[in-house]
Amino acid sequence: MTAPQPVRVGFLSGVRHALPYADLLGKDARVEIVGVAEGYDAPAWVREDSEAAARSMGVRFHQDLPSLLDPELVDVLVVCSEPTRHASLAVAALEAGLPVLVDKPVATTSKEVETIQQAAALAGRPVGIVNRLDSPAVQRLRRWVDAGHLGLPLHIDAEWFAGGAHFATSVERPELVVDPALSGGGELLNFLLYPLDYIRHLTGLEVVEIYCEAATLFNEPHRASGVEDCAVVSLLLERGVTATVTLGRVPAAPGLGPVSSSLRLLGSHGHATADDDFPQVRRYDTEGGVQSMPVEGPSSVAILRRFLVPCILDLAAGRQPNYSLADAHTSLAVTEAAYRSAQLNQPVRVGTDVQTISAGPKETA
Amino acid sequence: MSLRVAVLGSGAIAKDHVTALREVPGVEIAYVYGSDLARAQSLAGLAPGAVATTELDRVLGDPSVHGVDIVNATPDHAAFTLRAGEAGKHVHVEKPAALNLADFDAMVSATAGTSLMVGQTVRFQPSVATVAKAVEAGEVGRPRLAHITWYTGYVWPAGWRGWQLDRAKSGGHPVHNGSHCLDLAVWLFQRTPVRVFARSFPSYAAGMPVHDSFHLTVRFDDDSLALLEISYALRKQADMLRRIVVSGTGGSLAHSTQDDPGLTSDGARPAPSSVEGAMNVQLAHWIDVITGRAEPVVRVDEVRAALAAGLAGQESLDTGRAVDVAPSPLVVTL
Repeated sequence: MTAPQPVRVGFLSGVRHALPYADLLGKDARVEIVGVAEGYDAPAWVREDSEAAARSMGVRFHQDLPSLLDPELVDVLVVCSEPTRHASLAVAALEAGLPVLVDKPVATTSKEVETIQQAAALAGRPVGIVNRLDSPAVQRLRRWVDAGHLGLPLHIDAEWFAGGAHFATSVERPELVVDPALSGGGELLNFLLYPLDYIRHLTGLEVVEIYCEAATLFNEPHRASGVEDCAVVSLLLERGVTATVTLGRVPAAPGLGPVSSSLRLLGSHGHATADDDFPQVRRYDTEGGVQSMPVEGPSSVAILRRFLVPCILDLAAGRQPNYSLADAHTSLAVTEAAYRSAQLNQPVRVGTDVQTISAGPKETA
Repeated sequence: MSLRVAVLGSGAIAKDHVTALREVPGVEIAYVYGSDLARAQSLAGLAPGAVATTELDRVLGDPSVHGVDIVNATPDHAAFTLRAGEAGKHVHVEKPAALNLADFDAMVSATAGTSLMVGQTVRFQPSVATVAKAVEAGEVGRPRLAHITWYTGYVWPAGWRGWQLDRAKSGGHPVHNGSHCLDLAVWLFQRTPVRVFARSFPSYAAGMPVHDSFHLTVRFDDDSLALLEISYALRKQADMLRRIVVSGTGGSLAHSTQDDPGLTSDGARPAPSSVEGAMNVQLAHWIDVITGRAEPVVRVDEVRAALAAGLAGQESLDTGRAVDVAPSPLVVTL
């Protein structure tokens, strides 16, 4: 009996997150990376970075996109461009009849997501989006919710921090995060989707109203580009459930690794916490130093390890991964509402054309 | 020679003050005043030599009384402070100091010749004091982002008659207990809140006219941000889950009560070790302030700024809108 052929994976652009993804894919015999393609009309630095990514992966660099948009060459495509190009590359993959995994954020506007949805429907191909719902800490919390241990969730607070110490190594080029022409926005667009996904996943409820205060508190690249690096967010969900998000790229994040997140869930019959850095083991060295070691390694790697290859295998088999375009669309719509709120300095309804909330008593049962 | 003070009030919190003050070396509780003599007597019995009385004039007219600790109902704080100030007494007043800024300003004026210290007990909790000391020492640079979650299983007493459920008496929850977190944020940032948004929910009874759980987003005058959360939703009365995160230009500080050593026993459930002993330290500090041995840790301009933000928080709950905070600049800013 012969072993099944590995799933052939190609990258459409390799400027953002391509190397950590390739590192994990390259270690799994069920997957084979076959190439990286870049648009022939892309800026020189983009082409250079994508070519360097291909070189680093030890695969062929395709000088234009069409040469890799070929079901004879690849089984699944992964979009690792700057966020403002995610949608067009995803659509190109789907129009070529290929399933596609899109880096996060899936797109920079809801309208762009809708174009991907239309293309997916026409092509009849599944679309995956990079997400962190496979976090062991979040999955544990979800099991406790599902088991009824917490009763009905009443409130969740989420912290999401990125550490400045890791900025130079976890972000390939600062402009990929701070230049709106590439990133589509600041850290709200980059990060808010993660805690929003967590909150929706844990409660099964949609956000109906958001209030957001955003600011540029720490980072000169963000200030120069006029985008936020921090935000505090208040959410009203269906059923009167509330939630908050504290989010920031801060000089020293209170966690381990490039990003760290924690949650506290208050339920009608109990409360629980989740932290991507815990459980952890501490090592005390002879020099007086202390090192904290999460049991599954840094959360970014641990969660990606659980997510990436199974997602690729699902896509190759024509199966839609659990986290869908609709999920990503919903989180992006809430993020867009966050930006509107931050601009108006007032709460904003989600999913309607109503710009702000009209006055009215809130502290009522 | 002992320093003589009086405790004005005989409610639940008064007992904590009496037992803390009696432990301060060199302090004598001369009087415990209360509208209910039996309750005042019960508390006076805890402090050797203390006289229980229902006559405020007797206390304020006693020239041997150096300072008064006002721990009665919040709506009465202002009137009692004004009278004590006029009588030349130093004043310590329980938080929230007042229900509005006009009352608070009058309290400050009335005690201009002596002193006014507001009992922001949280500042004296060991973990909070450590955070503040590190911030003051510049160990995280300039603090710019804070998240404080303070979840407990505390249950307001007296059922539906509880004063905490009456906004006219408590000021609403953002004023009543929001003053803890708001004061802490103002203290750490040394900046003035300029905009507040609040959202609340009732955790242990749907019909609560004042919700026991709420959160506040706070923007400061230098654009620094804080998210402050209080909830009584934990299932067991003695439970506490509090997390403090402060991020600055040169580092972050974090503390969680989950990391505290603790007791697990059917016999007792003490408060987390990171908060214990605060009242004793606070009132010992007050004595040091009124005897000139220390500058006040709690400044009235900080308290005013926090009160203004709490009032804005209540207005936000009432209107569903973000609310600009009434101007309340700090005297000293970094």
